[in-house]
Amino acid sequence: MSKPMSKEELQYIGKSIPPSELFEKVTGRFQYVGDIHAELYGKVLRSPHPHARIKHINTSRVEKLSGVEAVLTHKDVPLRKLPRRDQRGCYILEDHVRFVGDEVAAVAARTRAIAEEALDLFEVEYEILPAVFDPEEAAKPEAPQLYPGGNVYGPQFGMLVEKGLNEPVVMEWGDIEKGFEEADVVIEDKVEVKPQIHSPIEPHICIASWKGEELTLWTATQSPYEVRMSIAHALGMPEGKVRVIYGAIGGGFGSKYIERYQPIAALLSKKAGGKSTKIVLTREEELCHAGRAGAKIRVKLGVKKDGTITAIYLKGFFNLGGYGNIIGGCGRFGEESPGLAYKYQNARFEGWDVHTNHISSQPCRGVALPTLTFAVENVIDQAAERLNMDPVEFRLRNLPESDDLMPVKPHKNPIYPRGELEAYPAQQILREVAEKIGWERFKGYQHPVAAEGPKRRGLGIAASQGWGGFCIGGFINETVILNNDGSVHILSGHTDLGTGSNTTLRQIAAEALGIPIEEVTLTTGDTTIGHFDMIGARGSRSMTTAGHLILVAIEQAKNKIRQMAAPLLEAEPEQIEVRGKKAYVRGEEGRAVLLRELLTSTVKCTIGGDPRDWLLIKGTMWPMVAPGKKTRNPVVAASEVEVDLETGEVKPIRVITGNSPGRMVNPTIVRGQYTGAAAMTLGMALWEEFKYDEKNSVYIHASLTDYKVPRALDVPPIVNIIIEEFVERPLDVGGPYGARGAGELAGLGIVASIANAIYNATGVRVRQTPMTAEKVLEAIEEKRERKK
Amino acid sequence: MMEVTTRKTIQMVINGQDREIEVRPNELLVDVLRERLGLTGTKIGCEAGDCGACTVLINGKPSLSCLTLAIECEDKEILTIEGVGDTMKGELHPLQKAFVEHYGVQCGFCTPAMILTAKAFLDKNPNPKEEEIREAINGVICRCTGYMQIVESILAAAKEMREAAHE
Repeated sequence: MSKPMSKEELQYIGKSIPPSELFEKVTGRFQYVGDIHAELYGKVLRSPHPHARIKHINTSRVEKLSGVEAVLTHKDVPLRKLPRRDQRGCYILEDHVRFVGDEVAAVAARTRAIAEEALDLFEVEYEILPAVFDPEEAAKPEAPQLYPGGNVYGPQFGMLVEKGLNEPVVMEWGDIEKGFEEADVVIEDKVEVKPQIHSPIEPHICIASWKGEELTLWTATQSPYEVRMSIAHALGMPEGKVRVIYGAIGGGFGSKYIERYQPIAALLSKKAGGKSTKIVLTREEELCHAGRAGAKIRVKLGVKKDGTITAIYLKGFFNLGGYGNIIGGCGRFGEESPGLAYKYQNARFEGWDVHTNHISSQPCRGVALPTLTFAVENVIDQAAERLNMDPVEFRLRNLPESDDLMPVKPHKNPIYPRGELEAYPAQQILREVAEKIGWERFKGYQHPVAAEGPKRRGLGIAASQGWGGFCIGGFINETVILNNDGSVHILSGHTDLGTGSNTTLRQIAAEALGIPIEEVTLTTGDTTIGHFDMIGARGSRSMTTAGHLILVAIEQAKNKIRQMAAPLLEAEPEQIEVRGKKAYVRGEEGRAVLLRELLTSTVKCTIGGDPRDWLLIKGTMWPMVAPGKKTRNPVVAASEVEVDLETGEVKPIRVITGNSPGRMVNPTIVRGQYTGAAAMTLGMALWEEFKYDEKNSVYIHASLTDYKVPRALDVPPIVNIIIEEFVERPLDVGGPYGARGAGELAGLGIVASIANAIYNATGVRVRQTPMTAEKVLEAIEEKRERKK
Repeated sequence: MMEVTTRKTIQMVINGQDREIEVRPNELLVDVLRERLGLTGTKIGCEAGDCGACTVLINGKPSLSCLTLAIECEDKEILTIEGVGDTMKGELHPLQKAFVEHYGVQCGFCTPAMILTAKAFLDKNPNPKEEEIREAINGVICRCTGYMQIVESILAAAKEMREAAHE
């Protein structure tokens, strides 16, 4: 086995090499799906009602319109569901609509103008059904039912499960009753989070076209093999006859998986004789179909006088909307991380995933973790205040450290093996973040750090934990091909969302083979290479999963070469090193053979991860990196805000994130991921307001004027504290070169830190996101009233 | 929607080249650029002037091509991302170079608009402060980067352009 090398010896690890496609991106030559011409333009007719049954659709006027080439209603789609990862399967179209904006019918026409005109010609008769929007209400048996088996989705994984389980997803350990009895102080509070809309600047887009029985789909997706699997299943086709081309994505953030518009485009194209048919969502559709799950969460926390946490009980209702994704919703993944941020000896985390007549939940950068961290840290801060302890001191007292045993025990869910945390510098990160934001200025919970006129400044801090070793080695295929000239080609199942993973994966391969990075090429972006990836670019896993498997495949290729070179070099295979395009006897570089002399053909090794379902293989999602050892990322965020007591406006002055990427493969890419995640969750905290008028069934936030994603002037300087700590291991064991995931993690604590900073500035706790000027002012005035 | 059939031939200078184009009165500049001239570097993000991804320079000023009728551009100079840098020699503009070196790019969808907006700004203000840069690019939304590396790229390009001007 190859040994890792110290920093000085490394050529590519730790080097900020610009991603190779940046040249095309800065010159406008990078081709996105929208830049490809299509023959037909598809549009989707959407429901004006939150809950209804379609009694009748008349399409005759649509069909007569000149230029219309295909029309699709629920009567034209197969009676087979689209299987989708972590969410209920759904039909491509159905006679039952579950939210305003739900797909009703579709049309393809020669121009976009004709397609839009055609939408007005559908005649649809609806039977309006009672609707429910609040997940807690929807969980009650008397609520209007969206599905025959009930609104609660419950703890299950099957993609085509028809019936929900009317129970929460639970993770618990210890004995919370005993824990609360031991507590000197018990704090209880609740928060509410509104959906955050991903809002990639490139809208959802696909082009479908058929040649005979074979479908090609160009689409911007993070999960191409899920798109292939799902469409092939619903249309009753072999997966190999569905080709998904997905090389360019203008941002995803969790929003771009399989969605109905893709199979709708496929069916429209098929009806139109295979003509290429493009569907692009409008910005309004983009803002009104899916988002990070809204949630209502109660937390009860018990602490002793000395600051030790004795118990936590979290109960959350997560709004799945009509068709939502449970990972976007709660629970089974979301709760684990905030649940492990502190040393809870007794804990119960209970997440109810509930369908309502709302937009669908869809994982959004950090899934439920920013939400859950906000819920927990809101109470942590209050507990520390009641005990008269400094917020930083209180957290330091309860943060775990390296070698602490993760307490979580599986409950009905076998995928969480226990393990000791390794290379877990939580306390150091917290200290450094506190120092960077100037925590010495903190004068007490309700004492702003500065005041000028109506303006008050406050500091807030929050801790969480992320899944840095997510999926190491699971659910994805990687092939390494050593060419006979010694260069290498990689066929990879991963998806580069614009995070630069095509480049970072090439960096680790170049390092492991001791060859120039220019001689490492990589193919992805087309499912015809057959490199299945079960879940796609999700969970900050490209580096840990694809990277790890590439190193395993390289090690196997090296072993094949060792066997072949051994007789020539008159040495044992174990004595042979393969590096720099040659095989040589370790310690005697003169006894060598060049690969181009040794090989007349290529050496190819493919690693498939474990292809079984994750339920069957305990520990694959969060595997042990060594016996009894697990890798996680401690995460910290601190914010300084300025609140105007007269207007309620909150201006973030600075944001510090604290992170633990293991070893960074490409520091500038890692820093860019952290800053991006922080800015996005800052938007969730302060400005991005989803607004739906239940009375009139209208979305009020349906443009980027009304839905305020952060702009350059909104975002304050963001500083990322980075502590590189990792365990040296053989290259094919654990995270590649000690690397952990990065994409989502800096965003986990931002919302919580902003809420705590507002409290420090004003003495009011804002318990709802986004914390708009209106809401903050309301809370300030309420407090004034109470004082009177 | 009625198909408007009256067409008019207009002259424009696009990326330094004289072009004569027949346009319909209701035709948007972004559609003429992307669909008629194949200049797909200009992106469409919202079609409402909110996201800024469709920004091009008209007579040197950042303009939203999704809200601009092509016919309004008669006799005007249009610069799109395809015309930035020395395209004949294949050399990048200092801004393009800086966006590569400082990773002012992630998914790349807002990048053409960011670079054009920054170019118009630096042409007028060669020695900007960070806050002024943020003000200049405030109309273009980037959902990936959190803007830090974009601002760093523009600062670095400004420095390089100033140094080049001194030589």
